[in-house]
Amino acid sequence: MKLNRLPELQRREFLRRSAQLGLAGMTAPWALNLAAMGEAAAADARGGYKALVCVFLAGGNDNGRTLLPIDVAGHANLASLRGGTTDLGGLVAPRASLAATSLSPRVPLTGSGVDGTQLAMAAELSPLKPLFDAGQLGWLLNVGTLMEPITKAQYLAKSVPLPPKLFSHNDQQSFWQSSGVEGSTKGWGGAIGDLFLSSNAASTFTCINASGNAVFLMGDQAVQYQVSNSGAVPVNAVVSNLFGSAACSQALNNLITAPRTHWMEAELNRVALRSINAQVTVKAALGNANALPFSTAFDTTQSLGRQLQMVARLIAGRSTLGAQRQVFFVSIGGFDNHDFLLTQHPGLLSQLAQGLSAFQSAMTELGLSENVTTFTASDFGRTLTSNGDGSDHGWGSHHLIMGGAVRGQRFWGKMPLLANNGPNDVGQGRLIPTSSVDQMAATLAKWMGVSPTEVTTLFPNINRFDQSDLGFFNT
Amino acid sequence: MNSVKPFAQHIVPVLGAAGCSQGPTETLVGSLKTTHPRPLSERTLKSAPLAGGGLLLAACGGGSSESGTNPAQALTDVEVVRFLNQAGFSASAESIAAVKASGLANWLDSQLALPVQDVSRYDWMVANGYAIEANRSNFTGADNAIWHKLMSSSDQVRQRMTLALSEIFVVSMQGLPIEWRGLCVAHYADLLEKNAFGTYRQLLQEVTLSVGMGSYLNMLGNRKEDPFTGRVPDENYAREVMQLFSIGLVQLGSDGTPRLSNGQTIDSYSAQDISQLASVFTGWERDRVDAADYAHVTRPMKHNVANFQPGDKTVLGTTIAGSQTGPQALSLALDILANHPNTGPFIGRQLIQRFTMSHPSAAYVGRVAAVFNNNGRGVRGDLKATLRAVLLDPEARATPSGNASGRLREPVHRFVQWGRSFGITSTTGRWAIGDTSDPASRLGQSPWRSPSVFNFFRPGYVPPGKELAANLITAPEFQLLNESTVAGYLNFMQSVIGNGLSSGDVTANYAHELSLAADPPKLLAHLNLRLAADAIHPTTLSELSTAVATINASNAAGQLNRVKAAILLVMAAPEYLIQK
Repeated sequence: MKLNRLPELQRREFLRRSAQLGLAGMTAPWALNLAAMGEAAAADARGGYKALVCVFLAGGNDNGRTLLPIDVAGHANLASLRGGTTDLGGLVAPRASLAATSLSPRVPLTGSGVDGTQLAMAAELSPLKPLFDAGQLGWLLNVGTLMEPITKAQYLAKSVPLPPKLFSHNDQQSFWQSSGVEGSTKGWGGAIGDLFLSSNAASTFTCINASGNAVFLMGDQAVQYQVSNSGAVPVNAVVSNLFGSAACSQALNNLITAPRTHWMEAELNRVALRSINAQVTVKAALGNANALPFSTAFDTTQSLGRQLQMVARLIAGRSTLGAQRQVFFVSIGGFDNHDFLLTQHPGLLSQLAQGLSAFQSAMTELGLSENVTTFTASDFGRTLTSNGDGSDHGWGSHHLIMGGAVRGQRFWGKMPLLANNGPNDVGQGRLIPTSSVDQMAATLAKWMGVSPTEVTTLFPNINRFDQSDLGFFNT
Repeated sequence: MNSVKPFAQHIVPVLGAAGCSQGPTETLVGSLKTTHPRPLSERTLKSAPLAGGGLLLAACGGGSSESGTNPAQALTDVEVVRFLNQAGFSASAESIAAVKASGLANWLDSQLALPVQDVSRYDWMVANGYAIEANRSNFTGADNAIWHKLMSSSDQVRQRMTLALSEIFVVSMQGLPIEWRGLCVAHYADLLEKNAFGTYRQLLQEVTLSVGMGSYLNMLGNRKEDPFTGRVPDENYAREVMQLFSIGLVQLGSDGTPRLSNGQTIDSYSAQDISQLASVFTGWERDRVDAADYAHVTRPMKHNVANFQPGDKTVLGTTIAGSQTGPQALSLALDILANHPNTGPFIGRQLIQRFTMSHPSAAYVGRVAAVFNNNGRGVRGDLKATLRAVLLDPEARATPSGNASGRLREPVHRFVQWGRSFGITSTTGRWAIGDTSDPASRLGQSPWRSPSVFNFFRPGYVPPGKELAANLITAPEFQLLNESTVAGYLNFMQSVIGNGLSSGDVTANYAHELSLAADPPKLLAHLNLRLAADAIHPTTLSELSTAVATINASNAAGQLNRVKAAILLVMAAPEYLIQK
C-alpha cells in the first residue's frame, strides 16, 4: 500500500500517527511497516458508523433442514436422502409445510442440475421472510472452510491443500473464525478491528463479545471486550468498600491491576484492569435498562435474544463508547443434532429468527439499518444423509447476511447438487464448499472499509478464488 | 508495500518448552521462549528402577531421585502445601503434619490406596428423596450430590482426580435429554470416581457403556444402516471417543509432540475409521424394566443384536471380524484405542495440565506417558501410577521458575479450596450450592455442567494477545477468563466469604483465623501459606496486611471483617490465582 494511494483523510491520519510515534520528518513514510505502527495502519473509516455482527451457531448447523429445495423434484430428491418426509419418519419437512417460507429471489438459481430449483427456509425462520422479500437479507449458498477451490476428484486424490482437521468441532469453529485450528490466536474479526482502532476514540470497544471468549475477535492489537447480558460487571470490592474498608478496596484494586512480569499473572491483571476501566463507560453507554433506546422487544427468556439486545444497546450507545467501526460476536449452542434433530433444531432456528428479526427492527428504529450488517456462521454443515433421527458432521453450509446495506432477496454463491456420493459431496452428503469463508469475510471486510490491497493481505488465499467480492452489498 | 499482517496463522501449538531449569545439569534447560521443541535426540532421558518398587522418573538433566520419597528429608511447609494444593484442593494443619511425617510419595501412596470413601452421589440422592417422579426430567439434587462430595468427602486426591476426569470424559447437565437425568449424571460421576485409580481401559469401557455417555454422545439407540431409508450409523461417539477420550487428532511422539511429515502433522484417523467405528458402536440400548425404573441409569447399556451392523469393521488398520458379537467387537475396538501409542501422551499431558502446570515440557509428558505405557509391572494405563508420575515428577516438584510456569486455578478449584480450608458445613446437609455457571455473578464454571463435550477449556488453548500468544504457551483455563468472569468471581467470593451460601445454610468456620485477627501480618502470612503456598511476595503481603490493619478490630464484627477481607485479598492475588 503506497501512501500516495491513500485517500486524503487517511493520509492526514497517517501523518498524525507518524507524528505521535515520533516519526515526523522521515522522508519515506510509505516504506514504514504499517503494522508495526499499529493503529496507523488505518483503513477507510469514512461514511459514518459501521458494524459487523457475527451470529455463531455452535455445534454445526444442519443446512439440509435450514434452507432446502421445495420444487417437486428437488424436494423428493432430498427426502430420498434423509429417510423421507417427517410424516413418514424422515428428516425432511413436507412441501406443504414450507409453502409460507418459500423464497422468490430476484435472480433465479441456474446451473447444470440446478435450473428450476426453488428454495424454502425452514418454517421456523418465517420471521426472516419479510426481510428477504424486502431485500434486506440473502443467503450465501454452500460456504465453508477452504484453502483454495477444490473438486471432488482433487479431494479424493489429495492433490489440493485442505483445511486441517475437517469435521472436528473445535478446530473447524476455530478455522471459520481464524483460518487456524485450536490454539490459533488471531481471527478475522479482530484483524478487521486492528485496521480501525485509530478510528475509535476508545479502542477497547472495537471488538465486543456478548457471548464467551472467541478467537474471532482477537487481532494483533485489538482485544475482545467481553460484556455480560446485563452489561459490564462491576467489581464490587473496587466500586465500594471491602468489608467496610476503603483501604482494603484500594489494596485490592492495586493488587489485581498492577503490571506483572509472569506472563499469566500479566494477562490476568490486564483483563482485570480492562474490566474495571471499561465498566464505567459501558454503564454510561447502556443507560437505563428500563428505558431502552428502542421499543422493539427482544425475547430475553432466550440466550440469543439477551445477547442481541445487549449488542443493540451498545450500538445505540456507540458515541459514548467512542466507536466508528465495531465488530460484535454472539453465539448460541445446541446445533450438534446427531439425535433429536426434529425436536431440537426447530426451537434453535426459531430463537435465531426471532433474535435476528428483533435486532434488525431495533437497528431500523435507531436509523442504523444501513450501518450494521449481521451474518451467521457455524462449525460446519451436516450430512444430508440421516443417522436415524439426526445428522453427522459435514462441511459446506448455507449462511445468511442481513442488513439495510445488503443487496438482498438473492442467493449468492453456487447451489450444489444434493446427493450422497454425488459430484459435490465427499460422502453422506458432506458438501464440498463452493464458496470459501475467506470470500465471505473479504466481502464483509470491504464493506467495512478495508481496502482491496488490505483485503488481499488479510486473506492471503483470496486470490486463489475467482471472486473476492461475492456481491452482498449495493456498491 | 502493505504490511498489514494476515490473520491466518496455521499454528501447530508447541507442546513443551517450559520448565525444567532446576536440574543439577542443564541438559534440558529450555528457554521459555523456545518456539520449536528440540528433537528428542537432544534430550537426556534416563530411567532406572527405584529401590522400594516404584518407578524412578529421571529428572531434568537426569540424576535426581523421585522427589519427596524420603521421609527423613526435611520438607518445608511451603513444599508440603504446594504439593497438597496440586494433589488435592486444600491444606490443613493435619494434612501438612501427615505429609511431613511420611514424605510426599508415601503420603500420596496412602491416598491412592484408599478405597472410595463416603456414600455415592447416586445413593445420596436416593436417600435424600430426590429419586421421585417429579424429578424424572430435571436435574434436581444432582448439583447438591456433587457439591456434597467435592466439599466434604475425605479423599481429596480421588476427588481431585474425579473432577479432572470429568473434564476429559465430559458428560454435562447441559445436554442430557434423558429420563432420570439427575440420577444419571450423579452415577456417571460415581463411575469416574470408582475408576479414578483403576486402569484406563476399564474406565474407557465403563464410560462407553454408561447410560450417561450413551445419551450425551448418542451411542444409546445407535442402529445399523438401513439401505431402504439411507440411514447410516450415528458417528458422534465414534468420532469423539477418538478425538477427545483416547488418541486425539494427530499422531504423537512418545513425549506428546506431534509427528510431522513434510512439516505437516499426520491425522491419527480417517473419515473411514470413524464410520467403521460407528458401525462397531451399534445395537446399544438401555437396560431397564420400565419407565419408572430409575436405577437403570446405574447399569451398563445392553446390546441388541437386531440393531448391530453386520460385517467386518476395520478400525485404525485392524479388522474386527463380522463373526464377533456386538460386545466383543466393542471390546476389541476399545483395545485398539487403549493400546494406541498416542493414548499415553495424549491423556498424560491433559492430566499434567489438570494437576500441576499448563505448559509442561515434552520431557515431562514423555515421562508420564512412559508410566502410562508401563507401570513398572507390565500394566498399561494404570491411572494410579500415572497420577503418581504426574505429581512426583521433578518438573512438578522443582521450585517454579520462568514466566510461563504454573496454571490458572480453575474457578471451581478456588471455590472448593475456600470451602475445605475454612471447614464449610451445610446445616441441613443439603449442600444447596447449585449451578455456579453464571459468568457475571458466580464462577463461570460448574462441575458436570460444561457447555459441550469439549470441556470448559481446550488443552491446546493459547491465550491471544500478548506474551502467552507470542510464545505459544498453552493455558487452557484462560479460556474462561474475561472482563465479566474476572469481576463475577470476585463478587461471588466476596459474597460467599461474607455470608456463606443457600441463605446461610452453607457456612464457613473462621475460628482459627479470628484468633489471628489482632495481628494482621500473622493473619496474612497464615493465609498466604495455606492458600497460596507462600506465593505472594512479602512486599505485596505487607501492603495487604497494612490495609487489613485499618479495619477496627476492637469488636467481634471488626475482627470478622479483617478475616474476610484478608481471605478475599489473598484469593484475588495474581500470585494465588496462578498456581505454581
